[in-house]
Amino acid sequence: MSEPIAVLDRVSYMYPRSRDLVLRDITLQVRRGEFLGLIGPTGAGKTTLCLTLNGVVPQFYGGRFFGHVTVAGLDTLEHPISTLAQHVGAVFQDPETQLIATSVENEIAFALENIRVPRDEIRKRISRALTAVRLEGTEARHPHELSGGQKQRLAIAAALAMQPDLLVLDEPTSQLDPIGTQEVFATVRELNRELGMSIVMASHAAEEMAEYADRIALLSSGGLVTVGTPDEIYSQVDLLEEHHLRPPQVASTFHSIWRGKADAARVPVRMEPALQELEALSSECSLRAPEMLAKPVVHGGTPLLSVRDLGYVYPDGTEALNGVSLDVHEGEYVLIIGQNGAGKTTLVKHFLSLLLPTEGAVAIGGMDSRELVVSDLAKRIGYIAQNPDSQIFSNTVGEEVSFALTNLGYSAEVVRARTQESLTAMGLLEARNRHPLSLAKGDRARIVIAAVLAMQPDTVIFDEPTTGQDFRGARYILDISRELHAAGKTVIVITHHLYLMPEYADRVIVMGKGTILLDAPIREAYQRVDLLRSTFLTPPQAVLLARHLGQIVGQQLPLLTPAEVASCLECPPPEGG
Amino acid sequence: MSLLTYQTVERDSLFTRLDFRPKLVMIAVLSVLAFVWESPVIQAALALTVIVACLLAGVKSDYIKMIVKLMLPFYLLLLVTHGFWNTEQVKALTGRDVLTPLFTVPQQWPLVGGASMSAEGLAYGWNIIFKTLTLVLVIPLGIFTTDLNNLIVGMVRSRIPYKLVFIFSSTLRFFPLLVQEMQTIVQAQRLRGLATERMWVLQRARVYAKVAIPLILGAMVKSQQLEVVLQSKAFTGSSDRTYLYESVLHRRDWAVIVFFALLLIVAVVLYVWQGVGQFAWLLFR
Amino acid sequence: MATIMMRIRGPRCFRIPADLCYNLMDLRVLREQASRVAGRALLQGGVGMSEGPTGEEREVTFLGGAAIDGAPIAYIVVLAAVVAALALLPFSVILASGGSFPVSQGVYPLVGWVLGPIAGAVATAIGRTLGVFLAPHTASVPAVTVWAALVGSFAAGSMVVGGKRKNWWIPLTLLFVVEILLFAGRAVLQNGVGVYAAVAGSFLNWSAILLFALPTRTLFARWIGSKELGRVALGLFFGTWMAAGLTHLTGTVLMYFLFNWPEEVWLLLIPIIPLENLFRCVIGTVIGTGVIAGLRAIGLVKPEHAIY
Repeated sequence: MSEPIAVLDRVSYMYPRSRDLVLRDITLQVRRGEFLGLIGPTGAGKTTLCLTLNGVVPQFYGGRFFGHVTVAGLDTLEHPISTLAQHVGAVFQDPETQLIATSVENEIAFALENIRVPRDEIRKRISRALTAVRLEGTEARHPHELSGGQKQRLAIAAALAMQPDLLVLDEPTSQLDPIGTQEVFATVRELNRELGMSIVMASHAAEEMAEYADRIALLSSGGLVTVGTPDEIYSQVDLLEEHHLRPPQVASTFHSIWRGKADAARVPVRMEPALQELEALSSECSLRAPEMLAKPVVHGGTPLLSVRDLGYVYPDGTEALNGVSLDVHEGEYVLIIGQNGAGKTTLVKHFLSLLLPTEGAVAIGGMDSRELVVSDLAKRIGYIAQNPDSQIFSNTVGEEVSFALTNLGYSAEVVRARTQESLTAMGLLEARNRHPLSLAKGDRARIVIAAVLAMQPDTVIFDEPTTGQDFRGARYILDISRELHAAGKTVIVITHHLYLMPEYADRVIVMGKGTILLDAPIREAYQRVDLLRSTFLTPPQAVLLARHLGQIVGQQLPLLTPAEVASCLECPPPEGG
Repeated sequence: MSLLTYQTVERDSLFTRLDFRPKLVMIAVLSVLAFVWESPVIQAALALTVIVACLLAGVKSDYIKMIVKLMLPFYLLLLVTHGFWNTEQVKALTGRDVLTPLFTVPQQWPLVGGASMSAEGLAYGWNIIFKTLTLVLVIPLGIFTTDLNNLIVGMVRSRIPYKLVFIFSSTLRFFPLLVQEMQTIVQAQRLRGLATERMWVLQRARVYAKVAIPLILGAMVKSQQLEVVLQSKAFTGSSDRTYLYESVLHRRDWAVIVFFALLLIVAVVLYVWQGVGQFAWLLFR
Repeated sequence: MATIMMRIRGPRCFRIPADLCYNLMDLRVLREQASRVAGRALLQGGVGMSEGPTGEEREVTFLGGAAIDGAPIAYIVVLAAVVAALALLPFSVILASGGSFPVSQGVYPLVGWVLGPIAGAVATAIGRTLGVFLAPHTASVPAVTVWAALVGSFAAGSMVVGGKRKNWWIPLTLLFVVEILLFAGRAVLQNGVGVYAAVAGSFLNWSAILLFALPTRTLFARWIGSKELGRVALGLFFGTWMAAGLTHLTGTVLMYFLFNWPEEVWLLLIPIIPLENLFRCVIGTVIGTGVIAGLRAIGLVKPEHAIY
């Protein structure tokens, strides 16, 4: 490794009109050709740090800046952003807003045109960039024809075309489904390994980061807590939990096995070493009956939601659902998983009568959905969509929460009482007179939940509540879902973060290409590794570890979580531990 | 009709092979002529020519039919109002004191009894119908037949500052997202008990207004991200940049430009000198 | 201070195109310089760190991004996209001009109030033009619809209270007076429309001109900029009546030259036109209040010539 590609020297930064330091005394070097991962909870300053590398912070925002940032030999305050942009490519979180052109080739050409690259050279770079991200032949396509993963790859291609020395990616996979995430990581790894591109990537995807990054930098509250290899960082499970971060499941598993007393060497962070370590342990440790999370019994009686041979074709001809049949009973907690386009949201919209079947029938509470009015149904079934901002309509938090109640015609008394209740339950009472948009993004989701819960529905549907959230935020929302379930409500959650769900869901429905591929209790469903893999879903690492352990000891171990896996191994304390 | 992408024609024709600038000239000249001419005869000829050109250029006949269908109530209204009540103006235009009645409403009818529809008034109504038809259809003829890249660069070569052209192209890129967003918002409101099916007009107005608020605010929040993205792509708004596509005027482009320029001149001259295109031309001398 | 000023005005600002530097940039940097000494002490005390940042403080030239008349291009793009999206939302077809969409029409003045006159006019023009390109049937005479819309945004944005642009209303009022004379004049003198019909039929237009020319214009602007949402709503209501009325005038005068509707139609329209505009006012007020409250809550950086 030669001299570093980027150097941050005691960098601190404060946004304008703010009194708080967003970055505090960060000293960090990015080595040439390395893949540096940036992890930290929401608000730690990862995005700001990424933006210091191309000069957007502070040149674009203003504010107060301390220290020095040098990229490819250029100080980021002494050169205009347009110069720095030729050395640092940037890829952002939202696939939609970062694509600004009407065709793939125009997207890549845009930045090149801005820096006055001649036309022939632009053409050459476009085809090179598309080849590098495996999007050859898509030049004329419009961005909305691309999938999420393809959009992000296009953004990477556009950044690559500038032939930068450093590629900075700020949570590029947060909004993507598992296929998209895999595509992006594969692309980035290839760029790093084959082309030697230096990479800085902020991400919450712990498993992938452990696999691909050369070093990990942990950021918290604006300060750099530690830097090291993934083996060094991700094995420090206590440290990660202190900063509300989630380690890779293999690390949590081994951390639990050793009850927190092992050093990094015995806490692997990647799958391969973990499987090997497991084999070593199987001879060292004794096997116990695992402590498994209790999962409730199958429900009977009249189903709350009943679907028979449902088919749905969109007005433009896309077939979204085909031959779907299932029953959901009262009090169940159902998890629906699948890639984007599998039909999950389409199915759920039928439960709300937002869509009516083109084939087959949907019965809600015994009544055919065609006879039900959406707004009436809202009292019984609440739906919380992914983006809170498109579900907020009022000028104050209090008004937002009572919005539905007023529409549904409840008396002023009832409206007042329920609003109060809902605000208190979601911890929003002090914020009741504030404008919803003055709250942080993560808190806005709580407003929507409060607003929906004020209607006191019996069934609540959460559509991708964990996408775009950090670990703490995701758990907060899922804990609410668990409380609702414990109170007897029926809960349906759509998500692709499989590893978060074992503590919550009873039953899993796997969808693919408009049909149901699997409908089984969670413990059974997660064991169907081949089926999950065929639809590009990865079972949680704990499940894979359990299977491997099961193979070693010759026993079926249908375990779901790191804690469960750890509970079946009784190990002597590690040497020196 | 899918509005999410910019609609273009599928057939290759003279129109698609032309650069954007001669088409801009065409739109301008035809619009001016439609604006100035008053004769129903010449307006009909112009409108018909434009429709035929559209069809030849590949604009879908369904689309044209849809436009005519949507405008039909308006057109009928025009015929009725001008036929019955446009008296002073047509008298002035035709130089007649008495108009030719075509049809008279019986005296007994309340309010409108005795009103008579004149041939001249009706003719004037037709004039306006064809005028608007031309003004509307000349746009698909020019725009739908233009590849977007050519449109963008053509605008730049026509000396429009790049900033404005950029705003145009990125608005084109983003507005479909907003249309989808509108649908999401309406759905979300229905799920909070807003029963739009049961509302009458004034209430629906308030609902539409309530949709616009989160739409605009959401858009403004996104605009902040957009700013950072533009910065990171070295965007300064300056027109000093290179372009992937070219906008070159070939001989056929110049031929078209010259043709329309001459057409305009000749039409104006004939209008003033021989009254060609004036309301009474060919019909009411 | 003087040396600092010179250093700031030095190389950096000259090499950069003028419209990249916000006009207030120098002032901002000066303020930051001045408060730096006091600020350092604050930093050390207020942030909860044992010592302040150890790195050397740097001089930050606040460049902002590409902008038109002080409004960032990104804002213009999204608002143009909003105008385009709303234009595709047909609400009703109204007699007077053959195609009318109150929802988007209620938004033109707001665009002017948020972005300022020039940027607002650009956003509205581009958004409405796009609406015309994608759905030509939504405007019976496309050029007129676009022109009238942008004039509305421009007039709304020109409702400044003091400052360098406080006299922009004079040429605008002149334009509107000419328009209304042409309009009513053609009706009465050429088309034989009675004087009563012409005056009553153009009530919206001359009331809008009056409200614009008189100090009511600045009064409404002050209301819109007030912190109290109630006053904002009032300012939006009257401001929309005025701006939408001016849009109507600009569009109708051209339409009238094209369509020349007879006296009977004038009489019919006397109650209808103000009612239509009332609709626009309600919509504009509801949308405007929500949007302005939201923009203030988000803490969006206000474009330089914003009225709110």
